[in-house]
Amino acid sequence: MNCRSEVLEVTVEARQVEEAMLALLHTILLHRSTGKFHYKKEGTYSIGTVGTQDIDCDFIDFTFVRVSSEELDRVIRKAVSEFKDALSSDGMGQISLEFYQKKKSRWPFSDECIPWEVWSIKVIVVNLANEQERQICREKVGEKLGEKVINVVEVINRHEYLPKMPTQSEVDNVFDTSLKDVQPYLYKITYQITDSLGTSVSTTMRRLIKDTLAL
Amino acid sequence: MAHFETEYQRLEASYSDSPPGEENLLMHVPEGSKSQWHHIENLDLFFQRVYNLHQKNGFTCMLLGEIFELVQLLFVVGFTVFLANCVDYDVLFANKFVNHTDSSKVTLPDAILPMDVCNTHIRDNVFVIFVLIISGVFWLHRLVKFLYNVCCYWEIRSFYINALKMSMSELPYATWQEVQARIIEIQKEHQICIHKKELTELDIYHRILRFKNYMVAMVNKSLLPVRFRLPVLGDSVFYTRGLKYNFELIFFWGPGSLFENEWSLKQEYKRGGNRLELADRLASRILWIGIANLLLCPVILVWQILYAFFSYTEIIKREPGSLGARCWSLYGRCYLRHFNELDHELMSRLSKGYKAASKYMNCFLSPLLTVVAKNVAFFAGSLLAVLIALTIYDEDVLAVEHVLSSITLLGVCITICRSFIPDKHMVFCPEQLLRVILAHIHYMPDHWQGNAHRYETRDQFSQLFQYKAVFILEELLSPVVTPIILIFCLRRKSLEIIDFFRNFTVEVIGVGDTCSFAQMDIRQHGHPAWMSEGKTEASIYQQAEDGKTELSLMHFAITNPHWQPPRETTHFISQLKERVHREAAGASSETHPLSLSESEPRSLVANILAGPSTLGSVHFACDSSLANNAVTGMPGGATALRSLSPISSSLHLRGSLSAAHRASGFTCRAMTGSGTDARTVSSGSSAWEGQLTSLVLSEYASTEMSIHALYMHELHKQQSRGDLSRHTWHRQESDESSDSIPDEVRSEPNTRSRNFPRSQTFPATLPSPGASSASATGGTNVGQDGEKAQSSSQRRHSGPAADHFGTAGKVVRTARVAMGGWAEDGKASSRHHEPVQEETSEDELPPHIHKVT
Repeated sequence: MNCRSEVLEVTVEARQVEEAMLALLHTILLHRSTGKFHYKKEGTYSIGTVGTQDIDCDFIDFTFVRVSSEELDRVIRKAVSEFKDALSSDGMGQISLEFYQKKKSRWPFSDECIPWEVWSIKVIVVNLANEQERQICREKVGEKLGEKVINVVEVINRHEYLPKMPTQSEVDNVFDTSLKDVQPYLYKITYQITDSLGTSVSTTMRRLIKDTLAL
Repeated sequence: MAHFETEYQRLEASYSDSPPGEENLLMHVPEGSKSQWHHIENLDLFFQRVYNLHQKNGFTCMLLGEIFELVQLLFVVGFTVFLANCVDYDVLFANKFVNHTDSSKVTLPDAILPMDVCNTHIRDNVFVIFVLIISGVFWLHRLVKFLYNVCCYWEIRSFYINALKMSMSELPYATWQEVQARIIEIQKEHQICIHKKELTELDIYHRILRFKNYMVAMVNKSLLPVRFRLPVLGDSVFYTRGLKYNFELIFFWGPGSLFENEWSLKQEYKRGGNRLELADRLASRILWIGIANLLLCPVILVWQILYAFFSYTEIIKREPGSLGARCWSLYGRCYLRHFNELDHELMSRLSKGYKAASKYMNCFLSPLLTVVAKNVAFFAGSLLAVLIALTIYDEDVLAVEHVLSSITLLGVCITICRSFIPDKHMVFCPEQLLRVILAHIHYMPDHWQGNAHRYETRDQFSQLFQYKAVFILEELLSPVVTPIILIFCLRRKSLEIIDFFRNFTVEVIGVGDTCSFAQMDIRQHGHPAWMSEGKTEASIYQQAEDGKTELSLMHFAITNPHWQPPRETTHFISQLKERVHREAAGASSETHPLSLSESEPRSLVANILAGPSTLGSVHFACDSSLANNAVTGMPGGATALRSLSPISSSLHLRGSLSAAHRASGFTCRAMTGSGTDARTVSSGSSAWEGQLTSLVLSEYASTEMSIHALYMHELHKQQSRGDLSRHTWHRQESDESSDSIPDEVRSEPNTRSRNFPRSQTFPATLPSPGASSASATGGTNVGQDGEKAQSSSQRRHSGPAADHFGTAGKVVRTARVAMGGWAEDGKASSRHHEPVQEETSEDELPPHIHKVT
């Protein structure tokens, strides 16, 4: 609960799913990434630069900006294409991008991952009958995505909780340092097809155990 | 300088403003996370633990307590098995002769069977093995839980020490309010909760008490099946820990419960769309849990018996009278609890009321029993005296068989008899006692006032305040009864439960889903008969019963003086406080009571404090309830609380306050001012809020709350006179009320025609009988015809301030029901309408059995 959550909703055609998702996820990540930290003595650090790149969409009249990091792009693309494959045409789904930080725990427990911001993007896939409608859709979706991007920026501009800048030893608890050229906050991409009711069995079990242990 | 891979090229400038070297790079200093306390994942659990640790007086105390509990459990089981299997009772009772070579004395080891015999005994006995397995599992569970808790609370301990800067040794002497203030303070620094910059007291309470608030609200709205009408026992309440555990399991945390996690209700329960389906699902879940309870019943039963046996036999042996002692029942705790009231606050309140309550109950000793008890005690006493005298003369008497046991038995018998014999010097003044009790427990059904001397009232009060023996008996019965209640009573309520959770859950930013009653919003849940007339927009379904919203609000505002409520609420609080203070001042300054009623309308506090020994009492004389006020006025009471009820109450309070001020070294502007200056007095409360330390404050807070509670009850009583009282006490089951609907429909036009068209001021055209017209009648009713003289005279005396509360009549309510809280669920199944009918029918019909007239 101790976590912000933002919900975006888009309605697209099946072939637009991938690009639309990429556009939104990359937009969010653009604002949630920094350059690589280079730690110096006396506990200071400098921040490397991050390049940006304009990407034109093929199926949507839209251009978005993303961090110019092939590695990051590959990771995101992989997640999105999985999502796309799982999503049937004419269905609903939700992909969520969760930023979290790790908290070291004492021995018997594993590290806790505590989310602090969750972006959920709800996708509704529609089938269109003819070329003309597709053309209209192409423009419409472009406009909508533009609005969403502004939305995202507004949210990010608010002065709200962000994890504090870590010291060298703690940097892995806050940032994803596995990439060579860019350093986003720790994130996780999950997806869900249709808003299935109820939580999964594993989470229920985990909660049950936790609850019985609680005082 | 890291990697340039952008299409945007850097301009080749002729000058170089940042030469490729590292010395001129912008350097940052990481803040690091100095503490680990920012952004805590599960704040509910966290705050609960912080609270628990505070209540258990620090880490060491808690640790020790838990270890001993574990050891105790082992001991209970081990010792029982030992007693049952490894003792040769024949030797102990000297039925069997023991051959000894050296001496003839029987020693304890003689009576103990050797190991191998013992083992075979145990192995042969299936029941013992069954018990052992159950308790083994239980104990292991406790052990794991204990270890887990130690790890968790170790963290909380370091939170106290590092973040709150309180050592464990000073924790037992810090009030919760202090701890809370520090938590609020460090939120600014550490941001424990990421949604808000600042936490409020209410946020913390909400998180700690999230589920308890729901339970309180459900009991308040009579949703939970805890009252039953039994053939022989009559109206009774059954609410045990086992049942409570099951309720919580079903609603809050069990598998498939309504809540997704600690802080949010599942999405589908928030939408009204498929409520019927959800209700079916809930019903089947309840059925399964009921069946599981039934299957586990022997296990639980064995456990309960073992536990009860070992925790209570020792007490019975030591002081047999203690079983006669009473305790606040579990139901009572739920019924009396305010919204947002922590355990320790409730406990201290109830403990303060304990003395008066047991005194009250003792007023009702049956004279028949007394006569019998006196005589039994006489005979038993003489026998005992003889035995003791003989023993003193010669100890050998003790060696005679059964002499020692008969002495013990006679002693027990006499103690029991004595508890049925009333104290010779006790005076029977139940009304006064009940008022003192009310000052502490803050809630009681309307019809108790003025009927305190009735046996019915006493019976109902005993549902809140039961014999401990009954409590233990109920606990022992609980494993058997719980499944029955679940399967046959709770299951039928599943739709109402679903509706309740949907209608009364609000999502608060930074807190999650909470019970909307716990917001203490007068507008949404206020009850027009409890001072929120005109402010509340609640339908009957939404109103909290018994003025719970209003009283809870006052309680919370008084216990947490730094809390800043929303604007309207602040208005309500300050208005009420001012009235109480002003009238308290008025009552004390005008010592001559006659001048009170002559010149100006009677003030309510004067009513509470002074009692109507005035003109007003002539009108009230026939009304027994108010006449009792005169009793209250007499100096008496004989309790520590008498300062609340007698004339001198306000003086006492303020006197003690100013003493406290002086003691704590503050100059006391407000208090030294004479009582006549109402303004300074009313500002007094805010003055001392700011100045006194929280401990001093919290001690006076309870007194202040008591006065407010009494005041609100008094006001409520005056308002609702003439109304048929509406109370939760004898709310019917919805199923029973369904056949009373025709009655209700018929009676509705009747009441309207009886109440309104007769009024001179409202001739023929009657506007919709809404709140506005009702409040208008209040002021003008005075000149109404004879039949209503009684109530109108009462109105005159309640004064202009209370005037517009005057006729918050039934009509208003019936009008509201039509558009009431259920309106949003338009698609009316037949089951679905029952709650509404239940509510209305109770308003219109006189309360059924126990209403004392």
